[in-house]
Amino acid sequence: MLGYTITQWLFGILSFLAIMFGLMVVFSRNPVNSVLYLVMTFFCIAGHYLLLNAQFLAIVHIVVYAGAIMVLFLFVIMLMNLNEDTEPQRTWLSKIIAAVAGGLMLFVMVGSLKGAGDMGLQQYGNAQIGFVKNLGAVLFKDFLFPFEIASVLLLAAMVGAIMIGKKEAGES
Amino acid sequence: MLNGISINYYILLSAVLFIIGAVGVMARRNSIIIFMCIELMLNAVNLMLVSFSTLHNDAKGQVFVFFIMAVAAAEVAVGLAILSMIYRNIKNIDTDLLSNLKN
Amino acid sequence: MGSTNTPTDYLPIVLMFIVALGFVVTTMVASHMLGPKRKTKIKLDSFECGIESHGNARLPFSIKYFLVAILFVLFDVEVIFMYPWAVNYKELGIVGVIEVFSFIALLLVGFYYMLAKKAVQWED
Repeated sequence: MLGYTITQWLFGILSFLAIMFGLMVVFSRNPVNSVLYLVMTFFCIAGHYLLLNAQFLAIVHIVVYAGAIMVLFLFVIMLMNLNEDTEPQRTWLSKIIAAVAGGLMLFVMVGSLKGAGDMGLQQYGNAQIGFVKNLGAVLFKDFLFPFEIASVLLLAAMVGAIMIGKKEAGES
Repeated sequence: MLNGISINYYILLSAVLFIIGAVGVMARRNSIIIFMCIELMLNAVNLMLVSFSTLHNDAKGQVFVFFIMAVAAAEVAVGLAILSMIYRNIKNIDTDLLSNLKN
Repeated sequence: MGSTNTPTDYLPIVLMFIVALGFVVTTMVASHMLGPKRKTKIKLDSFECGIESHGNARLPFSIKYFLVAILFVLFDVEVIFMYPWAVNYKELGIVGVIEVFSFIALLLVGFYYMLAKKAVQWED
């Protein structure tokens, strides 16, 4: 098809959608719409993971981000009753300054990428690498200590969230 | 080439997504939207890690993404708990009004 | 499964999505086309026991339920570390069991903290 392989077509479409939905997250005035666009962005990124042969990661990404984290965001937005009317807006000046700063940052990144040239390593990805079995072998041999520390992190987050979020008995 | 796509395109895509997140953090005043933009930036980094993991045929990059996910979940849990407590007290989450710590 | 992996391997999944989406779209469009439409002001109003309805339909709900959602996210992330262990159970042997159980033990501490603080209890 027009000299491109099917993978390249998929990459192009998914990239376009991811960037479009990412922009919609920033530009949409209703916070609920922002959350839904961010979920769509995450689905596009999961599609990229599939193209990169990271199958397990793609599923986990959907389960954790789209399924849990974004639902939590939606939850908080709904219980704060945020909508278009209550949305605070920055002045146009600071919006323009933010856009210019972002453009400059992009310019620097693209410039450094141009300087780097094409990466020397040219390898075809091994399809087996994203399988659960492979990841488990690496996780429990090379990354054992970070794995145990992750549980401490989750414990700390759990205790912190309960401490902050729990209303005390005397509090109204 | 990963599967017919140069790694440079993945770097470019991640950079663009990261900057969209960064601009969102700078241009919005709603704390929750700022949080979401931070998630978007984290995901741009995740995409980069996975594409390099495929390039080098090494699963370590993908395992690293798991840890980033754990950190993101912990961050969201505590951050949203703080935000909802702020909302309970002052009925607002506009970042410009949350400058009490300044003085 | 072969060592090469092409997008065409996902064709069955794509087909499934197309069929699922097509079914929903077809039934929704068909019900719009086939059903008779008689829209009146009274019919579209939300029914509030005869009282005139006012305000936005989206009302803020109780913040109590929020902690349950937060704790769900944390335990959900815990599970993604479990799958790789479950698949590699035989290769890792007793060492893997010890590793994962020490992981779970720390999270159980959090779970008991949650119970002791009555974080998920419905209060009024």
